[in-house]
Amino acid sequence: MIRVFVGTALTGAFVVGLGLIGLAAGGSRSLNAYLVLSGLLFAIGMFGFLARRNAISMLMSIELMLNAVNLTIVAFGTFVPKLAASAQGSVIALIVIGVAAAEATVGLAIVIAIYRNRKTPLVDEYDAMSQ
Amino acid sequence: MEIGPTIPFTGIPWDDALFVLLAGTMLFAGILVVTMRDIIRCGLAMMLCFGALAGIYVMAGAPLVAATQVLVYIGAISVLVLFAIMLTQSKVGPTRLVFQTQAVPAAAASVILTVIVLLAIASTDWGGSPAPPKATDTAAVAESLFTDRVLPFEVVGVLLLAAVIGGVFLAKRERTPGGEDPGA
Repeated sequence: MIRVFVGTALTGAFVVGLGLIGLAAGGSRSLNAYLVLSGLLFAIGMFGFLARRNAISMLMSIELMLNAVNLTIVAFGTFVPKLAASAQGSVIALIVIGVAAAEATVGLAIVIAIYRNRKTPLVDEYDAMSQ
Repeated sequence: MEIGPTIPFTGIPWDDALFVLLAGTMLFAGILVVTMRDIIRCGLAMMLCFGALAGIYVMAGAPLVAATQVLVYIGAISVLVLFAIMLTQSKVGPTRLVFQTQAVPAAAASVILTVIVLLAIASTDWGGSPAPPKATDTAAVAESLFTDRVLPFEVVGVLLLAAVIGGVFLAKRERTPGGEDPGA
């Protein structure tokens, strides 16, 4: 039941978002299309982070959100003339990718360390603090 | 035979069609990542999502970022995630609940966030140029990265070193005092 509701809501948001991208003036030539896309991807990642039980799924959702932010950075770097002249968008995006790689490494190592202690990857069974 | 700037008989520019195709692939794969039951398939959908996003980077005029996206995300982080999934997969498999009890409020919060973001985007004049995106010069990226932005670059290097050391420290088995590594 929950899955059906969630799936319907997300698919609706997906279709509405695609329509907005299509309607946005200029399509792939406008900054708005990239921003809408990035906002949708961020919302999907936020839903995954809040709703999934598996710790690794939550980390994957964090990766989606990081990529959404990166897309925003690249879009602004391309479409704002002052940033485009000195290629600052690509520079910042590359640095963010490096930081995200470090985050993924440490996050997955923490998940594996917890799994070794608790024998489960499900976050709602990590209840040592509430006992 | 020459291919025109638009799709024949429809008048839709090719780059708009490609953009919508890549955007749809990315969003659909993203939804699969957060909703599918089998977590291995979630990881594979994540790779698809990152691949489509790399294509969008190319369309946005950042080919170097697209190449880095393929190398780092599809090549490294996805493989890392898949290994972590295989290490933590329990024998019972994905038969149990995928979502927490807060899934419905989470979905509502995501939809609200989407609406707010869309309203903010629609009502703001970003002052961007309406010209088609031009590919960023890789030499300009390198020059900026190694002259003006060299301090952040070096700090990221140190951060990656710290992450490697921290990852090894966190993921290694603890030794029993006075004994050999029990699992090795």
